[in-house]
Amino acid sequence: MKISRTWLQKYFDAELPSAGKLVEALTFHAFEIEGTEKVGDDDVLDVKVTPNRGHDALSHRGIAKELSAILNVPLSSDPLKETPNLSPATDAVSVAIQEPDLCYRFTAGYIKGVKVGPSPDWLKERLEAIGQRSINNIVDATNFVMFNIGQPVHAFDAGHLEERDGKYAFEVRKATAGEVLVALDDKEYKLSESNLVVADKHSGNAVGIAGVKGGKPAGISETTKDIIVECANFNGVSVRKTARALNLATDASQRFQQVISSELAAYGQRAIVDLILKIAGGELVGFVDVYPKPVQPWNVSFTVDHASKLLGIPVSVDDAQDALTRLGITHIYQGDILICDIPFERLDLQNPEDMIEEVGRIIGYEKIPATELPPFEKPVERNENFAKAETIREHLLDKEYSEVYTSVFADNGEVMVLNKVDSVRPYMRTNILDGLKEALKKNIPNKDLLGLKEVKLFEIGTVWKNGKEEVHVASVGEKSKGEEGTLTDIKPEDTILFPTSTTERYQSFSRYPSITRDIALWVPSDTSAEDVKKTIAQAADTLLTRIDQFDEFKKGDKQSYAFRLVFQSSEKTLTDDEANSAMNSVYAAVKAKGWEVR
Amino acid sequence: MGFTFAEGPLLESEWYNFDSLNVPKDHPARDMQDTFFIKDLPEHVLRTQTSPVQVRYMEAQIKAGNPPPYRIIVPGKVFRNEATDMTHEAEFFQLEGLAVGETISLANLKGTIDRFYTELFKGADVEVRFRPSFFPFVEPGVEVDARINGDNVPEKLRGKWIEMMGAGMVHKNVLKNAGVDPTKYQGFAFGMGLDRLAMLRWGIDDIRLMHSADLRFVNQF
Repeated sequence: MKISRTWLQKYFDAELPSAGKLVEALTFHAFEIEGTEKVGDDDVLDVKVTPNRGHDALSHRGIAKELSAILNVPLSSDPLKETPNLSPATDAVSVAIQEPDLCYRFTAGYIKGVKVGPSPDWLKERLEAIGQRSINNIVDATNFVMFNIGQPVHAFDAGHLEERDGKYAFEVRKATAGEVLVALDDKEYKLSESNLVVADKHSGNAVGIAGVKGGKPAGISETTKDIIVECANFNGVSVRKTARALNLATDASQRFQQVISSELAAYGQRAIVDLILKIAGGELVGFVDVYPKPVQPWNVSFTVDHASKLLGIPVSVDDAQDALTRLGITHIYQGDILICDIPFERLDLQNPEDMIEEVGRIIGYEKIPATELPPFEKPVERNENFAKAETIREHLLDKEYSEVYTSVFADNGEVMVLNKVDSVRPYMRTNILDGLKEALKKNIPNKDLLGLKEVKLFEIGTVWKNGKEEVHVASVGEKSKGEEGTLTDIKPEDTILFPTSTTERYQSFSRYPSITRDIALWVPSDTSAEDVKKTIAQAADTLLTRIDQFDEFKKGDKQSYAFRLVFQSSEKTLTDDEANSAMNSVYAAVKAKGWEVR
Repeated sequence: MGFTFAEGPLLESEWYNFDSLNVPKDHPARDMQDTFFIKDLPEHVLRTQTSPVQVRYMEAQIKAGNPPPYRIIVPGKVFRNEATDMTHEAEFFQLEGLAVGETISLANLKGTIDRFYTELFKGADVEVRFRPSFFPFVEPGVEVDARINGDNVPEKLRGKWIEMMGAGMVHKNVLKNAGVDPTKYQGFAFGMGLDRLAMLRWGIDDIRLMHSADLRFVNQF
C-alpha cells in the first residue's frame, strides 16, 4: 500500500529520517518496499504488507507503529491507545444483524446538518499523495480514516434512506437471488444469496455490498444534509468471495479479507465522526453499536531460552523486553516467562514463535551469524529411486543420449486437469515417448549445427497410467524406435560416472535455420588440419557458426581433409545464395594457398 | 552435510499440499485460478510446491520408528496455473530443503544457504542476508537474498543483492501434522525455484528453454 512520509511524520515529534532510511528500516525489519516516488515535497513508499500483517499494518498508523519500534522513536500519539467513547447513544438509528457469523460488529454515527464541500487542503494533499482522488469533504474523511488507521468507513446520505417516525433502520442480510444494486462506481451489480448486503430495512433495498462498496442511491452528494456513517466488521472470507465474484476489489474489501479486529470499528467510528464535525460541521445525534460477541483480550507467553534456541543467537531478557516495549506490547516477566498482552489489532500474534519472530526482527536478522549445521548423527540414507535414476542417466549419457524435459501435459490421458488457463493439452501424459518423439523431430534439423551424427534423447519423468503415478525412463534416437519403462524395467549393465558439467555460461543461440556445406581438399602433407580449418573459417566469415572435420587420409605426398561447415544468421533465415557466396570466398582462399578442392 | 534425497507425488492431495502445511482452507492460493485441480478427483491438485514432501518424509520416518534428526533435499516438478512467458512456466522445478533436530536454528539456515551458494558459484564470495517475510508453513519466515562476487559470476548478478528464496523455521503445526513433537524438535526449511537459480547461475534468458528439449540449449551443459 502507498504510504506518505509527510503523513507518517504526523505520528512523530522527532523529524523522521530520509525516505531512503525508512525504506531500509522497513525492508530489513518488517516489509518489502516495492518502490518509492516523489509527490511534490512528499516521498511515497509502496509497502508490500505480508498477508499475516494485513490485520494491523495496512494503514499509516500501522506503518508508523512499525517504524517507531524499528527506529526506537516513540509515537507522539497513538490513535489506537485510548478506548473510544461512542456516546451519546441514539435510538434514531437501529441495526439488525441477520448474519452474526458474517457481520461481527456494526457501528453507526448519525450527524445532522453537515455542509458538503471541498476538503481542506491538508486532507486533499494527504489523499492525493497516495494516489486517491479528492471527492468531497465527507467522502475524503472516510477515506482518510481508512488509510490512517485501517478501518473501512462508509457514509450514507440519510436523505435517501427511508425514515419512519424520525427513525432509520439498517439490516445486514444476505442478498436475494438476482437482487440488483447500482454501486458508487455507477455499475450495476447482480447479487446472489452468497453476497452480504447492508440494507435499508424500511424500504427493503440494499444500500451497500457489505465490506466491498456502497450503493449509488444513498451516496453522498452536494445536496446531502444528514448522514449516517457505518464502521463495521465483516467476515473476511465472505468479503473476499463477494469481491471476487463481482470482480470488484476495493480498498475496503482488501482490508476486510485480510481480517481486521472488530475492536477497530469503534476507533474508526469515533475518528470519522470527530473529523466530519471538524471539517463539515453538523451536529452529532448519536451512535449505535451492535457488537454481539466482543473480542476477548488474549496473551502469549514465551521464554528467552526458546528465542535463543530458535534464532541461534543468545537473546537476553533485556533484549526481549526492549523489543516488546518498542512494539508497544505490554508484558510482565515472571519466573523466566515473558507474558505478553497482545494489542487487539495484532491478530497475527498467537504462538510463542510469533513473539520470537517479533524479537528477532527488531534485534535484526543481520545479527544472526551463518552457522554450519552440527554433524549429522545418523548414517546418511540413500534414496533408491534417485540412485536408480542416476545410474540410468549415466548409462544413457555414456551412449551419447542427451537428457531433456518435455511437458507432462498431453492431448489425451486418464487424468485431466479441470481448469488449465491456456486450455491446451489438459491431460496428464500416459507415456514419455510421444513427447520425446516430437522433441526428436524438432532437433533433427539442428543436427549439423550441433555437430551430432545422430540425435538421441532420453527423459526420466512422471506418467499417469493404469490409475497410478509412476516414474518412467524413455529414450529415442533417429535410428531407434524408442523404448520406455519404469526405472526397475531397465537394468543398465555398465555405469560410467560422468563429472558434473563445467559450463560457466549459457550462450544464446540463433533461432533461425542453418545451412550445411561440405568441403574436401588436397593439401601438402606437412599442412596441419588446424591450419586448413583456420583458413576456411577466416574466409567464411561471420555466418559460419560451426566447422567440424569429418575425414582425413594420405595419398603419396598429398593429404586430404574434409570439413562440414554450418552457416547461420542471428537475424534472419539464410538463403542458399548467401551460403554459396560464403563458400566462394572459401574456395578463393584455399586456391590462393595453392590447395586443391576435390 | 547429511542431506538425503526425498520425493513425493506430483498429483498431490490438498491435505499434503495445503492443510498439513498450515495453509487454511480459505487461503487465496487455494482458489481455482492459481492451482490445477483434477477432474473427478476432488481434493487433489498438481502440487504447487515441493513442501508437501516435508510432511510426507517426516511422517514416513515417524511411522517407521525413526525419530529426528532429519535432513532432506527435494528437487522436483511443481505447477502453477498461469500463462507462460520468458519468466513464467506452468511446470517448473523447485528445490526444497529441510533440517530437523533438537537445536537446528535460524543461524544454521543461514550457514547452510551460505554453503550452498558457495559450492554452486565455485570460487566466488557469497554473502547471504535475511529479510522478514511470511509463509504459512514457517515461523519466523524470511526472504533470502544473496550477493555473489567474483570474476566468474555473470555480470547481471555480480555484486548485487538478489532475492533467492523463501525460508524459515518450520511451523510447529507442520511438525505436529507430520507426527513430530514440536516441543522437542525444531528445524528449518527452504524452497527455491531451480529454474530461476539456473537462469541466474548460467545467464539463461528464457525459462522456457529448460523445458524446450532443444539440444541447442541442453547440449551446452
